[in-house]
Amino acid sequence: EQPNTRAEHLNHVHRRRSIMSQQGVEISKMTPEQKELMYTAAATEMDYRVDLFNKMVTGCYEKCIDKKFKDGDLNVGENSCVDRCTAKYWQAVGIVGQMLGAAGPEQPK
Amino acid sequence: MDPAQLQGLPEADQTRMLGMIEAMQARDSLRMYNSLVEKCFDTCVQSFRRKTLEKDEEKCISKCCEKFLKHSSRVSIRFAELNQQQVMEQVGGAAPPS
Repeated sequence: EQPNTRAEHLNHVHRRRSIMSQQGVEISKMTPEQKELMYTAAATEMDYRVDLFNKMVTGCYEKCIDKKFKDGDLNVGENSCVDRCTAKYWQAVGIVGQMLGAAGPEQPK
Repeated sequence: MDPAQLQGLPEADQTRMLGMIEAMQARDSLRMYNSLVEKCFDTCVQSFRRKTLEKDEEKCISKCCEKFLKHSSRVSIRFAELNQQQVMEQVGGAAPPS
């Protein structure tokens, strides 16, 4: 079924192991300062995910969608293109992540 | 709002996280609204003979929106799948190079 685009995908933003469970310290044992840092990190990660998603949508739209709008629906070719585009985009995310990781400590997950 | 991730947290933290997520969704919705208007206007409106949109321009804008939303929806599904795949890989222990 078609999810309600934005809302649904944002669910998936934090479906992966969140910043919260990745911290070495348990939440209840955190100092207020540590907690604040964690919230900031979580917000940053969320922003990153949303931005990644938006860029994926825009990028694949430019590359795959016929702008003549003969029809309101996506045709079979466009569908396949979008599927492949998203997979390739994701791979690119991985590679760039690796490259940045080799270059310096700060990297997107 | 995905309950699974937030389950283990104390209530105050859950509330706060939910607040953050909601605010982010609201921001993102508005951003998408503006960018969609920009996109469709750019593609569909080329001439300015009159002050009002031509019939075909109106139709174009409607189709443009419909198409973009369907596209965005499809990407959303794939994004979730790819994300899920990555989670499985991480949980499975063998962390992928990325």
